[in-house]
Parts: sequence; structure tokens; C-alpha cells
Amino acid sequence: MEMQKRLLYLGAIVLCGTAMAAAQDSPLPLPPAVEKELAAKASNVTEVTLGKNMLGFAAKFMNGKDEDEAATRKLIEGLQGIYVREYEFDKEGEYSMEQIEQLRKYFETSEWSPIVRERERKNHETTDVLVKLVNGESQGMFVLEAEPKDLTIVLILGPVKVEDLSRLKGLGGLSSLGDVQKDIKPVKKGGGE
Amino acid sequence: MRRFVFVLVCFVAMLVPVAVLASGGEGGFNGVVRSLEVKYHAHATRIPFMGLISFISRKATEGGVSNVHVAEFEDFQEAMDGEELNRMVEQKLGPEWERVIRETSRYGGDQTLIFMHAEGSRMGLFVLDASGRELDVVQVSVDPAHLNDKVNEYQHHSHHHDDGD
Repeated sequence: MEMQKRLLYLGAIVLCGTAMAAAQDSPLPLPPAVEKELAAKASNVTEVTLGKNMLGFAAKFMNGKDEDEAATRKLIEGLQGIYVREYEFDKEGEYSMEQIEQLRKYFETSEWSPIVRERERKNHETTDVLVKLVNGESQGMFVLEAEPKDLTIVLILGPVKVEDLSRLKGLGGLSSLGDVQKDIKPVKKGGGE
Repeated sequence: MRRFVFVLVCFVAMLVPVAVLASGGEGGFNGVVRSLEVKYHAHATRIPFMGLISFISRKATEGGVSNVHVAEFEDFQEAMDGEELNRMVEQKLGPEWERVIRETSRYGGDQTLIFMHAEGSRMGLFVLDASGRELDVVQVSVDPAHLNDKVNEYQHHSHHHDDGD
């Protein structure tokens, strides 16, 4: 009986391990089901996944002799990760507002504060920017831009400010960050929404 | 209860050979190229004297770039499933390689996969790019700090040259 119990525990551990490995398939902390559904419907998908190790290597490519490069290098070295997902769809209506809402809700915790919430009814475009505040310091940024045929999700973990986004656009695959910063600035002046 | 334990143990026992088979065969760059050849019934053109080119590039960049591997598939006509391709490359390269960029089109025409791998102070870069009827696979090892110094050196020389003109 003791042997049976041990075997049962062993089996349970193996199964849990397999399940956890499957759950960790995507390093982007988003609802995995939504990510898969979006990817399945999109005609083009771009994924950028830069963990701390890879950001450390990317930083080494910046010599730091130039003042701008030195600032970018310092910024990158302090980050925990940059995750970008861009989905392009053939036609409108390929993703639902429920999916967008699910993504937003995922970050609507006490740690994340919305700084931009833009809704353009005419063009059916929405922009949400949330900042993770820890002891009053920005420790992360989540950007969700939804257009009828495009969806962009950006998650930056670590100390980052809106004005830093343009510095990051030079990294491979992150050119859209410059556009995000441009979008944010006029909205803030306008008072938010 | 005994039956349940028996089924569970059988399931675990079945996982082992599956995992062994999945990780079997040639891995790394050659493993990826070989798998592409078999899966898509295509033949890769390997650049002649690649070993020599790799050696020269290592010398020329004073160790900045080394271990160069290139394979090119021309007239690649098979449609690719992005998910399947990604899984295959991940499996052949191994868990030490991290995928940093992936671009995939549902219709299979354009696929880009970029993996990076820390090799001490160096970095391994693996790029698979399929566009239209061409598919290229490249792997290099770079020393970021050393490459930077070389680039700066050339920039410095070029500035001096411009000033002299």
C-alpha cells in the first residue's frame, strides 16, 4: 500500500511537471488561450521575446561611448523583459471585443494603473497604457493598441517610463514602440480619454 | 485503486520513450537543415569551403564573428506550417536556445525565426528566414564587445578619412 502511494505521488508529480511545462509555453504573462486564439486567426504574427539574459546581450552591442547609447544601454540592462505581440488580420472582426476586454482585465490589478485610455469611435481604434507602480516608481508598462485589422500588445517589465520607449525602438522588432510613444503624448495633454 | 496506479505508471512509462525519440537524431544547425530537407523534400545548398570562410571571418574580425554556418534552399515550394516549423527548430536547437523573434504568416509564405544562445561572453545567433521561394538558415557566434570595438575602430578611421578629404 505504501508503495502504491509512492507511485501515485510520483505519477502526480510527473503530470504536474508536464502541465507546468505546457503552461510555460509562452513567456508572455497573458491569458494563454487568448494568445493562441489570436495567433490562429491572424494572417501575420510577430512575436518578440527578450528576457533578462537576452537584454543583457543586446546591451553589450551598445558601446556606451555615445551619450544616447549609454542611456539606452543603462535602460536595457535594468529591464527584466520586453514582450511584443503584433497580430495582423485579413479582415475586420477577426478578433472580438471580449478578447480585448480579457486582456485588459488581466492587468487591472492594484499594481497596474491606467495612464492612457483612448477610444476612437469613428475609426474603431482603442489604446490602453497601464503602468506598474511599485513604491511610486514605474516598474513596468503594458500597451494594448487595437485597430480593426491590427492588434499590438507590448509588455515591458522593469523600470521604464513613457519617454524611454523611443530609446527601445532601435532594438530588433521593437520599432512600433516609437509610434506608441507618439500616440501617448497628445492624449496625455488632452487629459487622458 | 490498483488499476488506477497501474494506468498511471504505464502513462509515465510511455512518456519516457516519446521524449527520448523526440530528442533523438542530429541536433543543432545540421539537425535543423536535415529536418527541413526531409520534411519538405528539398535540398539545401551548403556554401563550399564554409569552414575556411568561418576561419577567415574569425581572423578578420579578431574573434568577433566565428562558427559561421549557412544553408540555402532555392526554389522552396512547400507551404510551411509556422507552428510546426517553430516546434521543429526549437526541438533541434535544444532548450539552451531562446527564441527572440518570430514572424509567421498563416499562408506559410513568410517565416522568420531568430534564436539566441549565451556562450559565455559570446552569443550564438541562429536565423531561419523563408520568403517567397527561398529559405535561408544561418548560424554565427559573435562577441558583442569585440565587435563593438572593431566597429568603433572603423568609424574612427572613417571620420579621420573624412576630415582629411
